Formats: sequence, structure tokens, C-alpha cells
Amino acid sequence: MNAAFWGWLVLLFPLLGSVVIGLTFRVLPARAAGMIGVGAIVAAFACGIAATISLQGEPAESRHVADSLWQYASVGGFQIDLGIYVDPLSAFMVLVVTGVSSLIHIYSFSYMQSDQGYHRFFSYLNFFVFSMLLLVLAGNFVLLIVGWAFVGFASYALISYWYRRETATRAGMKAFVINVIGDIGLYIAAILIFRDLGVIDYGAVFEKAPEVFQTNEWSIVAICLCLLVGAFAKSAQMPFHTWLADAMEGPTPVSALIHAATMVTAGVYLVARAHPLFELAPAAADLTAIVGLVTLLIAGTIAIAVTDLKRIIAYSTMSQIGYMFVAVGIGAYSAGMFHLMTHAFFKALLFMAAGSIIAAMANNQNIDRMKGFGKAMPFTAAMLIIGALALSGFPGTSGWFSKDEILDFAAFRGGWYEIFVVGGFIGAFLTAIYSFRIVFRILPGPPCEETAHLIETGHVVHGEPVNPATGGREDTEVGFPGEEHHIAEQAPGMKIGMAVLGFLALVGGLLQIPGVDDVVTSFLEPTFEDSPLAATHPSVSSAWLGLAEGAVISIAGIALAWWLYVKRPTAPATIRRRFRLLYTLFVNKWYGDQIVDFLVVRPVKGVGSFADRIFEPFLINGLTGGTIATVRSAGGAVRELQSGMLRGYAFLMLSGIVAVALYFLIRSI
Amino acid sequence: MLNSILWTPLVFGLIALLVPRRFAPWAAGLGAVVTLVLAAIVALGVDPSGGMQYVVDVTWIPGLGIDYSLGVDGISVFLVLLTAIAWVPAVAFTASRGTDRDGLFYFMLLAGQTATLGAFLAQDLLLFVLFFDLMIVPFYFLFGIWGKDRDGVTAGSATVKMIVFTLIGSLLMLVGAVAVGVIAADGGQLTFNMAELAEKGLPSGSQNWIFWFFAAAFLVKMPAFPLHGWMPDAYRAAPLPALAVFSAVLSKVGAYGFLRVVLPIMPDAAELFQTTMLIIALGSILYGSVMAFTKLDLRLILGFSSVAQLGFITLGIFALDPTGANGALLQMVNHGLVVVPAFLIVGLIAERTGSEDIGPMGGLAKRAPVFAVIFLIVTMATLALPGSANFIGEFYILNGALNTDVAIAIVASSGVALAAFYALRMYQRTMHNPLPDDSDSREISLRDGLIVVPIVVIIVVLAFCPQIVLSGTEDSVDATVAVSREAAQ
Repeated sequence: MNAAFWGWLVLLFPLLGSVVIGLTFRVLPARAAGMIGVGAIVAAFACGIAATISLQGEPAESRHVADSLWQYASVGGFQIDLGIYVDPLSAFMVLVVTGVSSLIHIYSFSYMQSDQGYHRFFSYLNFFVFSMLLLVLAGNFVLLIVGWAFVGFASYALISYWYRRETATRAGMKAFVINVIGDIGLYIAAILIFRDLGVIDYGAVFEKAPEVFQTNEWSIVAICLCLLVGAFAKSAQMPFHTWLADAMEGPTPVSALIHAATMVTAGVYLVARAHPLFELAPAAADLTAIVGLVTLLIAGTIAIAVTDLKRIIAYSTMSQIGYMFVAVGIGAYSAGMFHLMTHAFFKALLFMAAGSIIAAMANNQNIDRMKGFGKAMPFTAAMLIIGALALSGFPGTSGWFSKDEILDFAAFRGGWYEIFVVGGFIGAFLTAIYSFRIVFRILPGPPCEETAHLIETGHVVHGEPVNPATGGREDTEVGFPGEEHHIAEQAPGMKIGMAVLGFLALVGGLLQIPGVDDVVTSFLEPTFEDSPLAATHPSVSSAWLGLAEGAVISIAGIALAWWLYVKRPTAPATIRRRFRLLYTLFVNKWYGDQIVDFLVVRPVKGVGSFADRIFEPFLINGLTGGTIATVRSAGGAVRELQSGMLRGYAFLMLSGIVAVALYFLIRSI
Repeated sequence: MLNSILWTPLVFGLIALLVPRRFAPWAAGLGAVVTLVLAAIVALGVDPSGGMQYVVDVTWIPGLGIDYSLGVDGISVFLVLLTAIAWVPAVAFTASRGTDRDGLFYFMLLAGQTATLGAFLAQDLLLFVLFFDLMIVPFYFLFGIWGKDRDGVTAGSATVKMIVFTLIGSLLMLVGAVAVGVIAADGGQLTFNMAELAEKGLPSGSQNWIFWFFAAAFLVKMPAFPLHGWMPDAYRAAPLPALAVFSAVLSKVGAYGFLRVVLPIMPDAAELFQTTMLIIALGSILYGSVMAFTKLDLRLILGFSSVAQLGFITLGIFALDPTGANGALLQMVNHGLVVVPAFLIVGLIAERTGSEDIGPMGGLAKRAPVFAVIFLIVTMATLALPGSANFIGEFYILNGALNTDVAIAIVASSGVALAAFYALRMYQRTMHNPLPDDSDSREISLRDGLIVVPIVVIIVVLAFCPQIVLSGTEDSVDATVAVSREAAQ
């Protein structure tokens, strides 16, 4: 059995899980649905491992398999197969996606326990994983679009999972529409690829592209720019980033799964997958890295200012994905994928810890209100600290190794690429500050009302059925937690999920220690062997120098956070006052929503309302009315049009057709 | 064979009209089902690369060269099948609810099916024109007699508006058709056989004006921007089952006319006015989409979304490119399949909320998850989510358009994003958000499920393999498009 066989199974299990849960929701007990959901993803993970083993059994130069089930569509030579492509890159993504998803499913099994829509949740969640795997395994650009759009749809469904909450449905709509804009970028890219190359399958496209295109020729740059529209929209990079923060309306496991570990990294995967095209268009590749840098800095500044726990983590996600785009933009593909993996570990962990805390806070997400969690929920607190350490790149953690490998490569390329080193270090400093802002704000200190309740009774507070975003009352079946909800971190599923991820977040970096081992790089090498950039490596000594710099910056950032939030708790307010302008800019997210609103939403709505109120009545009444008036004024006979004559005429025609019918019926017998 | 497909609905319509009232729905339903079975048999028997098949050719009026000539090929076979499919749920939906003077209602509905099938099957230009004109007649009665008055617009005046628009287009087309025959004959033997006309060809000077005579009729029927003035009032008045088939199938006859009549017989003009037509298509896409998301009435949202979708179809046809035209034909089938359940769902929603206005609606999914999922599938197909057959249709259309004119294709692609917005808005405002107290969130009944679900199943099956349609259409469409491409060279 070759890798493609296992690849199909990887796709099959989550799809089957989703369909089975969806179809049997009336009869299946909730726990069984959850088990099927978890089981499907674990099975996919196992098949992913099998695919990887089978792939590793091949010699390096033939370590890729393409396989197709049937011809999906074909017209005028534009042939699209329902085919998959398994190579080290897609196998790596399959392992990360199914591995982290398994843990998140296990966590959700407990976390969503008392929710009314348990079946629906697991059906959507499995469908999401299926879509993501389709995106990763697709063998051609059109099937990639299908996976890409399914992911967008699944994320819509999960963001507006609590569908009677208007803030949630609005957020879902926003995410969906922005993602569709990204899809259109991919449509055009795929069409242009076919126009110029006459093929659409990955293998054929990457083989043919260097023969057809000159470096930086306009047509290849255009293709890459269209791909980037898709990549940026899905990965919430500027200027398509505004949906991600709103997407936090979804249940917290969804945020962990979609908005940290898997979906938002799809853009990074796309650039890595299409690297033969981007290397023919260095201009587009540089743009990728620049957008990544800008996003990582801007998102970092926002994360320092906002106070909503989940949104801080969301902006941090944007920022970390910025690093990944820098990586794949400058050609550090395996470093980018390595960071993608470690980020999936520690970011999913952070979201899980946040979910645990938010549940204990009766849905309140404001970090200014949270206090004393260190004592109230020690396990969650420990996990939160591990996640924050890895995120800020504390020496020895996974984030330290992966982030600095990217910056090291930028330094290695030299020249103007040094700006990525400088910007990256500034970003790392911001990261350390905001990560430990969370830690120092909510773990120490005297317990707040909710944590006190938890310490005394061992149960979480029952919140009022209100929308945490608006404070408006809701019907009790919406949202979470329900009446019967008693879990904080005690539930076994949540503990297992967090513990495994915590372990991975700590030690995941050991896969790739400069001078010691390079598991990820050598695993991915067959995919990137055609790339001259990927063949070059910074020296071990410069890598360790970079790591040392990273360690200093990370510790300095944590120290500053400690000084700001523990030692001098009044300092942040003073700073806010002194730099009011900057603070206003940051806390309003650089006015991204308002800019989009002003530039896109309002003009379109304006056109719509103009058309509706002025143009349309003219078309209907002016044009038709005019015609009718002309006809009427032509004379009294025609005035009959409305009543007798038209009806008579119509009946005449109808009897005509009946007569003709009978005539031919008789003749043909 | 084609004779029986064509006349079966009418015969059963007559029976429904004549039998006692309680048998009328059964007669009508049987008629629709028999037609579907016959159409399926023909569809299975058609050889995609065999040209015109099942030909019936009888001289009708010898002196004028008018034949009663029917046939089916790759272009028409799926539209015939679509027509046969669409009428079944429409009849069933009516039967399940009942209506006043139902014998007459079924007669009109099925007479409309015969006329529509006639337009798809006719191989004689004048026969085509005849059926094309007849098509509107039963719907005039259906909308006028069983329609509702709204906001001061009576069903009567709405239908008159529709008839005026249509008649002007039809008369122009009649003139055009006669002119085609006369000019092509050039003093010799008069014929209106479409294949012969295409072979004889017209001088390009005549093509240029005749083209617009036909285009007027087809664009009104679709309707295309800015000739859609009749649509809003008529759509708001119409009884839903009649509207479902009207919007699903009759609008496609216009697009079909371009493929069947205009491209083969007037290839030079099609090439000459290509850019104009592409711009009309683009206008329909943008205007239809923008209007669809400003409207609150479910019928108008669907109506304007049809304007936009027909815009895409026109775009694909006038890309004069094999991928574009095949995509357009696939999209005609897809859109027809999506619109029928969409309008029936509007009916179901209205039964639950007492309104067709999405403004005060919401939360219907609360007790009706199955209903919500059905509507969700239809919505996703409407907005052409990749993975649906509608996506493949749109994708090939855009591919064809981009090969012809990059700028137009890129502007047109914004219609995809607008569709995502208006279609999802329609779904969200009805199914999601808080449930108002006076709404009844009731699960879809088994009976209604049996009416709507089969067509949804077809949508899902096509999503897995749109090639089913494309492999049938490719040869015939390519041959048609090739004529215009040759003209261009």
C-alpha cells in the first residue's frame, strides 16, 4: 500500500465522521457522537503516520506520489482530476493538522459537554479537518481551491456556531466574505496558470514553469500576486486581517483549531507548496516577506493594547503567521514550516488554557477583571506559563528554536534582508511583553469574585445568559456554558489535551537544534530540493549567535512585562497617558475595520442604495410605464390590451397549440 | 419519442382540467413524472458526439418552408432533462397545498412545460419562435389569476408589464426570424431549418441588425440588465411553484437561444458585438448582485441573483470560447436546479413566519436543523462554493472570459464575492440570529422533504461529478462555438 492509499484514508475518516454524526444526530447519544468525532481524527492521524512511513521508504528523489480517483471536470483540454499529491510537505502538514486536531477534539469532548449542539459541533469540526486535509493533499490548483473554500465554509459554520447570537453571525459573515475574496485570487491564479502552462497538476506545473517563464516576468509575478491574495486572506495578513479578531466569537476550541493551529497557516503552506513559482518571481516573494513583517509588527502592537483575552491571542497569531510569511518569502521554507509546527503546539495550548479560564470566568474575557488564577486553577496556570514561554521564545522552548531559525536565515541572506532581522527582533520583544502581560495580569494577585468562588466551592460560577461581547440578554440555549456546566480544568479530556500540547510546546524545538539535529529540514528536503535557496544554510555558529540574541530579547521582554505589570502596576496607565495617540491607534487596531468600511463597504452599499432608490424605479416605472403609456395613447383599441384583447389573444394561442398538438399526435401514431 | 415528451404534459394537463377535482393533482403529477421518465430515457440514449438525434421532421406549411422539426443534441438534452425535473416538485408542491380552480392551474402549468420543451426541442426557426412566444402565455394566466397583489401593484398590472416587455421582444424576434429565412433563401427555396440556415449563412450586413432583434427577445427573457424592468413586480406577484419553474427554466431559454440560434446563424455578428454583449453580461452580474443585497424580499433577492447568474451565463457564451460556453451550459443546469428548491423554500419559510421579508425574520434553524441544512446546501450552491457544480460552471466561464478579455473577467469575478454576501445574508437572516416570538420554527415535514430533497440530492451528486454534464455537452457546444471563432479569424 503506497502513500496515496493512506492519503485517501486520511481524507476519508474525517469526512465519514462528519457525515455519520450529521445524519444520525437524532438517535446518537451525545457521548457517542463525540467519540466518533475524536475517533475519526485519531484514525486520520494514524493513516497520516502510515503515509509518512510509506513515503520514507522510497528513495529521496521519488518521494512523491500523485493519484486520482476520477475526472472531476474536463472541457477544451482544461482537465481537472479529483487527485491528491503526497510528498514530504503534505505529509508534514497532515501530521501537524491531524495531530493537533486530535488533541483539540479530545479537549472539546469535555469542554463542549453541556452544549446543546454537541452533534452539530463535532460534525462541523470533523468537516473542518476534512477540508483542511483536502487543502493540504489536493493534487492540483483547482482541487486546492475546493479545499480552500471548504475550509472557509467550515470556519464560517464554526464561528457562527452559536447562531442565534448576532455578533457571532456577523463575525461568521465577515470571515466568509473575506475568505471568498481570497478564493477569487486563487481562481484567477489557477486560470492564469492554465493559460500560460496548459497544465494544472502540481507536478506538471512546477516542472514546466521554469521552462516557460523568465525570472520576474510579468505573467509569473501576476500569478504569484493572485496566489498571495488567497494566502493573505486565509492567513489574516494585512490588509485582509480584520476577520480574525472577530472570529473569536466561536467556541474556544474552534479558535484553537482554526484560528491558531491549522486554517490560518494555510497561506504559509500555499507559498511553500508553490515555491517553484515564487522563486521565478522574486518580486512577489519579497512582497510576501514584507507583508509578513508589517503584519507581525502591527499585530504585535495591537496585542499589547487590547484587553480581551482571546483577542490578544488572536493578534498574536496574526503576528506569528507574519514570521512564517517572512520565512517562506525569503526562502527559509523548512524554518517556516518548523515554526508553523511549534506555533500550532503552543498557540493551541494557549487557546485551550484561555478556554479553561474563560469558562471559569462565566464567559467574561476581559483580562483586567481576571485575578488569582495561579491559585484557583494551578494546572491551567502552568499550561498558560508554558505556552507564554514558548510564544515569547524563552531559551530552550520550541518557539525559541523555530523563530530564531527564520531570523537567522534572513541575516544569512544579508543586504536589505537585514530589515527582517531587526523587525523580527522588535516583534519578538513585543511578543514577550504581551505574552507575559497575560500571565502577570491574571495569575497572581488576590482572587477576583469568580476565582474566589472556584477556590471555595470547586465549581465555576454560573453566568447569566448574556452575550459577552455586547452584554445583551440571550435565550438560554445560545452560547456556553449551559445550566449544567461544571467544568473548569478538572475534566480529563481538557487535561489530556493541554498536557500533551504543553509537553510538545516545551520540547518540540529539540527536533531542530543547530549543529545537533535537523529532523524537520531533512524530512522536507525532497520537496524543496529544486530550490537553490533551500540548499543554502547559515553556519552553526551564526545560528547559535542568533539564538543567543533571541534569548536576550525574550528575557528582556519578560522582565519588562514583570516590571510593568507586577512591580509597578501603575506604570501602564502612566504610559497610556503619555503616549495617548499611539495607544489610541493600537487599541483601535490601527483602525483596520474603519478603513475597510470606508473604502469598500460604504461605497458598495452606497451604489446599492442609489440603484435601489433612484435607478431601479426609473427602469421599472420610467421605461415600462413609458412603453405602456405610448401603447395606450396609440388609441382606444389598444387600451383593451389590459382586459379583453390580450386574454383573447392568449387563449387563441393556447387553443392553437392544443390543435397543433392533437394534429401531430395523431399523425405520429 | 420527442413527440411524446413534448406533448405528454399538455395531454395530462387537459386530463387534469377535465377530470373531477380530486383527481386533478394525481393527473398532473402523473404527467410530470411520465415526462421525467421519458426525458431520462432520451437523455440516457443520446450520444454526446452524435449531432442531432431522435429527429422528427414533418413538413408543416410547405409553401413557406416551415417544418415541424424536433431534435435533441448535447446542447439541449440537459435542458430538456432540467425542464422535466423542475416541474415535478412544482406540481407536487401545488398538490400538497391545493389551490383554487386547481384543474385550470395544472393545465396552465403543464401547458407551460410543453411550450418550454418545444422551445428546447424545435429545430425549425419559426417553430422555435412559436414555442418561445407560447411559453409566456400560460404563465401570464398563472401569475395573473393566482398571483397576489402587493404594495399597490396588482397581479394584473404586474403581468401586463411582463407581457408588454416580452411581446416587444418576441415581435422583433419574429421579424428577425422571417428575415433570416427570406434573406438566406436569396430568392430560392424558403427554409427555416436551423441547420440549413446555419450552413447557408447570411451576409454580415444583415446579420448585424437581425442579431439585435433576437438579442432583444433573449435578453428580456433572461432577464438581463437593463431589460429586467418587468421582473420585480412579476416575481412578487407570482404563485411560488409557477415562479420556481419560470425562474429555473424559462430564463434559460433566452440563454439557450443565443447558443442555438444566434451563434450558428449569425456568427459574424456575434463576433462583432462580442464586447457589447460581454459588457451587458458584466452589467447584469454587478447590477443584479448589488440589487440582491439591498433587497429584503426573498423573491427579489432570488430574482436579482438570477439576473446576476444569467449574467455569468451570458459572459460564458459570448466569451466565444469552448470552456466558457460549456461552463455556461453547465451553469444553466446548475442554476435551474438551485432555483427550484430555493423558491419552494421561500414558500416553506413564509408558512412559518407569515412573511417573505427577511427584515424581521431569524432563528428558524432553532427547531428545524434538517430544514436549515437543506437551505444551507442550496445557499452554498447558489453562491457557487467551490466543490459545488456551480463552481465548476463559474470557473470555466471565468476561464473563457479571461482568455477573451482579462479586464472584463477580473471585474466579473467580483460578482463571486458579492454572491457570497447576498446569498449568505439571505440564509443568515432567515435561519440564524434570534428567533422572533411570532415565528414558528418548525421542522420540515416528511411530505415537503420528499418534494425538496430529491432535487437537493441531484445538486450534491453533480457537485461530486460535474463531468456528467460536461462530457455530454462538450462536442455540441464546441461545434457551435467553433463557427463564431472561425468568423473571428
